[in-house]
Amino acid sequence: MRAMYLANYFVAGCIAFSLLGWVASLHPIAFRAVLCFLAAIAIAWGLSWLLDFSLSKLLKISVADLQALLISGLAMLLIGLGVFLCT
Amino acid sequence: MHLKLFVLSASSVVLWLAPLATLNKTLDIHKALQGVSLGAAIACAVAAGNIAREQAEQNDIEEIKTRAITADVVDEIATSAYISQQQRQQEAELILASPSDEVEANRQALEAIYSESLQDNTSASEHPDYLMYLEICKSREAGKSITWIVENILKMGGRKFSDGKVKLQTLLNKFEEEK
Repeated sequence: MRAMYLANYFVAGCIAFSLLGWVASLHPIAFRAVLCFLAAIAIAWGLSWLLDFSLSKLLKISVADLQALLISGLAMLLIGLGVFLCT
Repeated sequence: MHLKLFVLSASSVVLWLAPLATLNKTLDIHKALQGVSLGAAIACAVAAGNIAREQAEQNDIEEIKTRAITADVVDEIATSAYISQQQRQQEAELILASPSDEVEANRQALEAIYSESLQDNTSASEHPDYLMYLEICKSREAGKSITWIVENILKMGGRKFSDGKVKLQTLLNKFEEEK
């Protein structure tokens, strides 16, 4: 059951990135906004890798869990945007 | 609950992939449908995730409960066994601490209560000749002769002496066998 709920949240993340791509396809300004948002996410993602120990203390989770979250976030982004662009 | 979970999960995936694969992105109506479908898919996936998380937490709680009940039962059994052992030890210590004659008296009392021989003795004591047998025993312990016992206890002196001797032997045989 734990795997089920993790899989569902993962799918929700993938769909959210697909929705982000859909928003980007609506208008050029939206596209730029989404690009800025993605850039901000990329910076936050890189900083999270650099500050993983302090961030894990701040979020009160283990470093391994934080790293798993970061990797799964990247996978969600790739799958979500990939599905939207390839269809 | 499981059915709801699976339906929500499946519908989230279908609502995510089907509109993107089938609908035309250049048409406005299709684009709008894709957006609505993606929003609904996110809602379905989050709802399914929440249900699955609740189920997982309930399973964890049930597991903890089962472990707690098992530990409680084991603890109760161990406590009762310990108390029983302590009680037996205390009783044994009390018996050992009491004077030896008292222990002997207790032992005899217990024997009198529980052994079958007491029942036999009881039936013997109810016999009318039992008192006479006790007097014979006392006289023998006092060192009295058979003649004295026949004459003074059985009151069978003179011509009845031989009958008295037979009666004495019969009494002795009877009650000593019952002992």
